[in-house]
Amino acid sequence: MFSLIYGLWQYMFSKLELHVLILGIDKAGKTTLLEKMKSVYTNVEGLPPDRIVPTVGLNIGRIEVANRKLVFWDLGGQLGLRSIWEKYYEEAHAVVFVVDASCPSRFEDSKSALEKVLRHEDLKGAPLLILANKQDLPEAVSSEELARYLDLKKLDERVYMFEAVSAYDGLGIRESAEWLVEVMERSKRTEMLRLRAGALGPGSA
Amino acid sequence: MGLVFTRLFSSVFGNKEARILVLGLDNAGKTTILYRLQMGEVVSTIPTIGFNVETVQYNNIKFQVWDLGGQTSIRPYWRCYFPNTQAIIYVVDSSDTDRLVIAREEFHAILEEEELKGAVVLIFANKQDLPGALDDAAVTESLELHKIKNRQWSIFKTSAIKGEGLFEGLDWLSNTLKSGGS
Repeated sequence: MFSLIYGLWQYMFSKLELHVLILGIDKAGKTTLLEKMKSVYTNVEGLPPDRIVPTVGLNIGRIEVANRKLVFWDLGGQLGLRSIWEKYYEEAHAVVFVVDASCPSRFEDSKSALEKVLRHEDLKGAPLLILANKQDLPEAVSSEELARYLDLKKLDERVYMFEAVSAYDGLGIRESAEWLVEVMERSKRTEMLRLRAGALGPGSA
Repeated sequence: MGLVFTRLFSSVFGNKEARILVLGLDNAGKTTILYRLQMGEVVSTIPTIGFNVETVQYNNIKFQVWDLGGQTSIRPYWRCYFPNTQAIIYVVDSSDTDRLVIAREEFHAILEEEELKGAVVLIFANKQDLPGALDDAAVTESLELHKIKNRQWSIFKTSAIKGEGLFEGLDWLSNTLKSGGS
């Protein structure tokens, strides 16, 4: 009897989806990143970059990486729409913050948006992946340079990484997804969200 | 090789079909939107009792658009049309701030429906031509769109009378349906 319940318990865990929020200011390349993830990890061809329009709402991508089910939530980045970001924080296991590395004039904007994200209680302990996107463009700065520009304080207790990617040609996409799975697997936040989902029972989450 | 040809064939002759329901309270502008999409002109409409259905060909997708009457007494019949629906277009009169609460309740009740679980959601914040119309961010807030977490959604500011925003919405819809929906 015990093993039956235990088996069921384990089964529920393995089926649990990991939610990853994709945030960043408008034109950073969030949806292009999502579509690239879909192309790389599923047999569904993602939308080509030239077909992608600014997001005013929510795009979702479900992929499987290393046997774990990831659900990406890609939210619109225009100023007026950023107010809904926080409504998705509570259930997010990790955050991907996308920055257009080829556009230094908007780094300040990215920095303040990101700082606001990091200050939020509901995202406490969520691993953070910062992407220096658009590496396919010659003027793009490296991830180290971006890190210097953003000059983030108080990141110490949070698991984070900077990664240079191109959502356009696919550079760094697999590394990013694999890193996310790895850190989410052992993050306290995942454990906390699991327990909460378990306490509420399946179906109510 | 055969697969390549099949893909090429369907991308050239792309004969995808999608069933779309246009829902919303009475006087939101559903029928005006339908005929604006279908004929490109503004027709004068009367309150719909029952439904209008038209086929709209756009971006290689044949949209079978069902416009269901929005009055309280006939909303329960919406359910008859739910099976096999790929997308819902929910139309809101953005200037009718008094009824946004009802619009929100109806909307979330629709999303609860088992048979619409897989449908993507497009919201038209309509009547942007009227003074006092709320913008997309405000309508998002009033409709509590953030509660949607398991399917794709998007909101567009539209004016069916002026023909603004409608095809941008359909662009999103066709892209979303092509890239695998929710």
